[in-house]
Amino acid sequence: MIEIFWAELKRQWIQQRRFAIDSIAGIVGLAIIFYGLFLTTQYLAGPTTQFGTRLDSIVVGYVLWTMVSFIIGDIAGGLQQEASTGTLEQIFLSPFPVAQIFLLRELARLTVTLTQMVAILVLLMVLTGRMLTFSPALILPLISVIIGAFGLALTIGSLSLLIKEVRQILSLLPFVLFVTILVPVETWGMPARLVGWLLPMTPGAGILRDLMARNQGLDWGLLAIAFLNGGLYFAIGWLLFQQAERVAKHRGRLGGY
Amino acid sequence: MARSIQSDRVASDPNILTAHQLRKAYRSQGKEMVAVREVSLSLAKGEILAFLGPNGAGKTTSIKMIAGLIRPDQGWVRICDRDPHRQPAALKLVGAVLEGNRNVYWRYTPAENLEYFGILRGMSGQAARKRGAELLEQFQLSHKRQTLVQSLSRGMQQKLAIAVALMHSPALLLLDEPTLGLDVEATEDVKRLIREIVHQGCAILLTTHQLAIAEELSDRVAIINNGEIVTEATTADLIRQFSGSAYLVETEHSIPAERVRKLHLLGVDLQTERSLHVTDVQVLYQVLAILNPMPIVQIQKDQANLTDVFLKLVRGAQA
Ligand SMILES: Nc1ncnc2c1ncn2[C@@H]1O[C@H](COP(=O)(O)OP(=O)(O)OP(=O)(O)O)[C@@H](O)[C@H]1O
Ligand SMILES: [Mg+2]
Repeated sequence: MIEIFWAELKRQWIQQRRFAIDSIAGIVGLAIIFYGLFLTTQYLAGPTTQFGTRLDSIVVGYVLWTMVSFIIGDIAGGLQQEASTGTLEQIFLSPFPVAQIFLLRELARLTVTLTQMVAILVLLMVLTGRMLTFSPALILPLISVIIGAFGLALTIGSLSLLIKEVRQILSLLPFVLFVTILVPVETWGMPARLVGWLLPMTPGAGILRDLMARNQGLDWGLLAIAFLNGGLYFAIGWLLFQQAERVAKHRGRLGGY
Repeated sequence: MARSIQSDRVASDPNILTAHQLRKAYRSQGKEMVAVREVSLSLAKGEILAFLGPNGAGKTTSIKMIAGLIRPDQGWVRICDRDPHRQPAALKLVGAVLEGNRNVYWRYTPAENLEYFGILRGMSGQAARKRGAELLEQFQLSHKRQTLVQSLSRGMQQKLAIAVALMHSPALLLLDEPTLGLDVEATEDVKRLIREIVHQGCAILLTTHQLAIAEELSDRVAIINNGEIVTEATTADLIRQFSGSAYLVETEHSIPAERVRKLHLLGVDLQTERSLHVTDVQVLYQVLAILNPMPIVQIQKDQANLTDVFLKLVRGAQA
């Protein structure tokens, strides 16, 4: 498993170097967005202000948003694209579970993106003299959200194995993410709040808001709920993917037929 | 008890591949279409089986059922006693190059593709790099190791796809139309490689529409038509079976009229001025006596080729 992760990381690195112009354009784009955040925090009224109006919170909100959309879009898009070029069947000839390979691939991609983001932020801090402070406690709810995002990614990935056009579903994604990540469910009354805990990634995002926008301490009970939520969506995604794989093999539709 | 006896028997199966009574029906627009019915195949170490059949006969479907990519409705597959549909470890014993697919990543180099797919098949990074370099050497691709696959020739891409399928030294190699779209030289190259691979002990199942290639390479032939296997035999037997017992005799100069008359009395008529067909060995020597001492260019036994066999069997099934 670790061998596959290294192999994927190496492939990411090769792509970044080989298509250097695309990579640089991406990094410059990211730098401009972050720089914009640094400049305009006071006036910002976009959706990411849900995580608080302090610069640190806005940056975390943005990073979370982009990572989750990447994870979910990449896996379904990758499956679809490889099915049409014909490499997907070669991946299915691997003795490892295909879901695992795609998850490790995405993890490698996230590692690269996160490294870039951190590097840009450090650079901007040096250049502007404005310091960001992140509590290490943020890491835990962040992980719970990412686990849930992997689960959703596998769910949409399993659809893409069966339906050859998932682009429509993917175009609904920002709306779904808006509801699950940005709506402050933790402020709702009790029965509604239970529902909120069941929505994908919602509890983890709520904890992040508590930590950053409301300056509250880490609630371990809530964190446990967030991990249960992430684990549940991950398990659902994994099972659906196995099922979709079985159906696709039954229909003879793994390749681009 | 009965079960253990059966598993003992299966465990001593000398075949690398056994496919038993595979059946697959596809449902499209509410109608069921049986693509493969009761197909059984077996393949021993170091053997090449040519799997032949017209378009849509069910070759690719059968190959993908063997590779675990399509689930059969009925029947089973064993590769060295393991079931590729239930035991993922069985996939370590198979390599496949599938028809019409890219099979490899075009935005990476041959060396990168070999290493990556080696690791996906369960090799360590180090072992994959070593084996990759060996295969690049054997496949004469070393000079292109750092070129992106998308800028390689079609022949080189195909050779790379075969090399990738061999990374983990599988016992069984499945090649679905490996010479499709290749020029003469690349085809010769692939043929040479196939012979080398089999010599190293791999069993190969290959499909092709180029029957001359099948005839040259294969030890055995299975012909499938409309989803059913119509013949399975060793290539030599099949050709012998379809070859006639007739002889063609050709002389250097045209045969004089007086000898033609004598031949006619024997029941032999000329095909051209300098050649004739003899259907029987007995008559052959009488014919030669009549022709004596005219110079003879050749005497040849009628030899069917795989194309004749194929057409007879496939057309026969349609009639
Ligand atoms: N996934 C699928 N869904 C529905 N029908 C299919 C599917 N795959 C193949 N078929 C049909 O099954 C039949 C057998 O197809 P298959 O691809 O196995 O033939 P083949 O022998 O490989 O032909 P060719 O020589 O053209 O490659 C064909 O009629 C084909 O249209
Ligand atoms: Mg085919």
